[in-house]
Amino acid sequence: MASNEAWLLENGGNIKGSSREFRHGRTAHNMSSSSLRKKSDLTLVSKVPCGMLRDLLANLQEVILGTKLFVLFPAIPLAIAAHIYGFGKSWVFGLSLLGLIPLAERVSFLTEQIAFFTGPTVGGLLNATCGNATELIIAIFAIYEKKIAVVKYSLLGSVLSNLLLVLGTSLLVGGLANLRREQKYDRRQADVNSLLLLLALLCHSLPLMLRHTGDSIALMEVPTLVLSRASSIIMLIGYVCYLIFQLWTHRQLFEAPEADDDGASDEVAVIGFWSGFAWLVGFTLIIALLSEYVVDTIEQASDSWGISVSFISIILLPIVGNAAEHAGAIIFAYKNKLDISLGVALGSSTQIAMFVVPLCIIVSWIFGIKMDLDFNMLETGSLALSIVVTAFALQDGTSNYMKGVVLLLCYVVISACFWVLRTPLRKHFNDFLSPKIPLIQDFNCQPKEPSKLD
Amino acid sequence: MKKSPMDIQETWDSEKGEDNINPPILKLEKNQEDGRRNSDHNMSTTLLSKQSDLILPSKGLLQLFLTNLREVILGTKLVVLFPAIPLAILAHSYNLGRAWVFALSLLGLTPLAERVSFLTEQIAYYTGPTVGGLLNATCGNATELIIALLALRQKKIHVVKYSLLGSILSNLLLVLGSSLLCGGLANLKKEQRYDRKQADVSSSMLMLGLLCHMLPLMFAYGEKPSLYTLSVGATLQLSRACSIVMLLAYVAYLFFQLKTHRQLFEAQEEDEDDLGNEEKAVVGFWSAFTWLVGMTAIIALLSEYVVGTIEAASDSWGISVNFISIILLPIVGNAAEHAGSIIFAFKNKLDISLGVAMGSATQISMFVVPLCVIVAWIMHIPMDLDFSLLETGCLAFAILVTAFTLQDGTSHYMKGVALLLCYVTMGACFFVLRNPITNKTSDSLGVK
Repeated sequence: MASNEAWLLENGGNIKGSSREFRHGRTAHNMSSSSLRKKSDLTLVSKVPCGMLRDLLANLQEVILGTKLFVLFPAIPLAIAAHIYGFGKSWVFGLSLLGLIPLAERVSFLTEQIAFFTGPTVGGLLNATCGNATELIIAIFAIYEKKIAVVKYSLLGSVLSNLLLVLGTSLLVGGLANLRREQKYDRRQADVNSLLLLLALLCHSLPLMLRHTGDSIALMEVPTLVLSRASSIIMLIGYVCYLIFQLWTHRQLFEAPEADDDGASDEVAVIGFWSGFAWLVGFTLIIALLSEYVVDTIEQASDSWGISVSFISIILLPIVGNAAEHAGAIIFAYKNKLDISLGVALGSSTQIAMFVVPLCIIVSWIFGIKMDLDFNMLETGSLALSIVVTAFALQDGTSNYMKGVVLLLCYVVISACFWVLRTPLRKHFNDFLSPKIPLIQDFNCQPKEPSKLD
Repeated sequence: MKKSPMDIQETWDSEKGEDNINPPILKLEKNQEDGRRNSDHNMSTTLLSKQSDLILPSKGLLQLFLTNLREVILGTKLVVLFPAIPLAILAHSYNLGRAWVFALSLLGLTPLAERVSFLTEQIAYYTGPTVGGLLNATCGNATELIIALLALRQKKIHVVKYSLLGSILSNLLLVLGSSLLCGGLANLKKEQRYDRKQADVSSSMLMLGLLCHMLPLMFAYGEKPSLYTLSVGATLQLSRACSIVMLLAYVAYLFFQLKTHRQLFEAQEEDEDDLGNEEKAVVGFWSAFTWLVGMTAIIALLSEYVVGTIEAASDSWGISVNFISIILLPIVGNAAEHAGSIIFAFKNKLDISLGVAMGSATQISMFVVPLCVIVAWIMHIPMDLDFSLLETGCLAFAILVTAFTLQDGTSHYMKGVALLLCYVTMGACFFVLRNPITNKTSDSLGVK
């Protein structure tokens, strides 16, 4: 059982069970969140006389209480209450953010449970699409409300967070915990992910450069849009090839290494397929609701907290969305299982860069909204440097805590940069924040029209 | 005079089916003897040659001449494209629509490029390995060089820049990507390895070339040019100095490749049995030389048509000149090497494929481009190394991605997919970019 294995993990056991799990298509992504589970104690429930009630309670206990994060669950009804009764919008924002954390983790758990029933390939596919469900839902809501800047910033922040923050803390913690041991991992997995991230970077850089080649920026808007849409299709094709590569032809590159002893028994799903499915749909609806609150109230929260929207989108939102994976990656690095940590971090960022971003472009195309892949100079530059630094750090197959330190410091520097940058999304923000601070300068040192961000 | 035993022999092996590949494909075996060595560049084009049925040459001069003709003209599978040459000349003389002249010239250039490569290889038999290698190094990209020089003469500097840039991009991304993809798909169960040292040397040369391209660009963008720098055309001077440096580097690279570290660049040994025959040149030295001169002249003629009609074709087809120069021209010029590279990757001989692709890119970047700048200098044409932001960005990206991909010594099809998709994206970018022909790069006194 997944929770059994997690229990063993917490108690210093091994994860030999993990090798068997690959028959069920558990990628590193799934395995990371399993470390946050606890084994449910079913003794209390078994005392309930009525059979069906017992099953229901067992189910409930498994799903709701099966994680250490369940302390954050009360935030959900509080957020809904705050919204209905019109408490301060920043409260709605904060509570929704807190409520999203356990939901993201539970969705991951449910996806894994369903994967037991559907087999490895479909399970892998499910995980590949739903693994970043939170980011995807937030992005789609933001597109719907025409807040394109929020979309771009939050997705960019997700990629940066996965590449630098999650990876950096994992390498740091792993390095400190294993000072005497050699830390190795298979670099081929990291290479494939880095290569795809470089392709994504190309697709981001070309529209940016294209915008500055013409004689006037306004003239280049349509070609940039057309190029962005074409690049999105290309990226989606690349992602499909990556899925084929990962789940079918070269699976051995992506499977976590076997642990040493043979411990746990064969795992079994802890809930039925249909109940898992029902819970998944339910949780996704709640995530959608909370995401809508988040996207609605982001400006007011930014006002009342005094932080710019770009900072909230790039730094805060991704930390929330990634919290479960983050914790899992750190725990696995602590146990010197770097392949899994790397699989989580890199796989997640590849998924966002090559799947979620192009999907958002296509979705906005369908809605008739003009979103392109031009994320502006500063953001694209940060992305480029992160990808290059990460690719370079991971290219030799070993690790030490210094690599983690460097990656973390890169993340801190980038956050500092976005902290001091006050990007007004709407014209009247100029008066709210300091009017002396200029708008984002574009490459030719002309003030950029704010409409470019939408 | 160097001795004649040859290293590479070609055997015609279709029915024996040792390779389980149906259409007749040449097998190349290597006698590790002293003497001439076929570079990867030569070996790739031999795949497109067929061994002609050699009649023992009798004393008749006509017999000799016919044999010669058959060997040279019919000796390639691309012979079907040969009729395009007279058609192109006809179209030009009778003014049959300039777009037709353009297309027919392009088609005619494809087999000519391959034949020039074949003839260079034949001549190399007589001149020994070093001169042969040098010949190959200079003539390997003869088509691109001739097109560039002719465009320079007609003062179409942007065509020069874009076609050379497109050649590098095509070699690095298209040829390499499709080779790695085909090789990966064909060898799914096998491990694909190659010697990364060769790729590393080429990558570092390409990075030097990239630096020499980026400095004029950053110079133009970053520095607020004073009146002084504007008047002396500082970017131009910098470009010319960089070109000299690049040529020096290329000479050093040739020295490295052909003399001191040849073992890095030699094609892999084969495992198959030694069938014994040694290869010989199939045409005599002087006839090969004559053919070479003749074909080069025809290439020059067709290239002149191409350069002359490029704008007309762009108008009538509705594609920008940029796109034609960057994407279409290099695909044509490289077609023979491209096919050979894919076939070698298919057979899991990645070293050769890499040698072809990376070697060609290095040659264009470090030899043809600086040569054009120097020739422009002599002709008093202001061509500099500033290829403008978008193109230099694409170049930088292609070099970085390729260097990153090749740095671990193994390959699989996903690498090929990624490189190919990069190329498609760049192609899409240039497709949507519709710049008027009189863009900034033709007026290159430095500052944009």
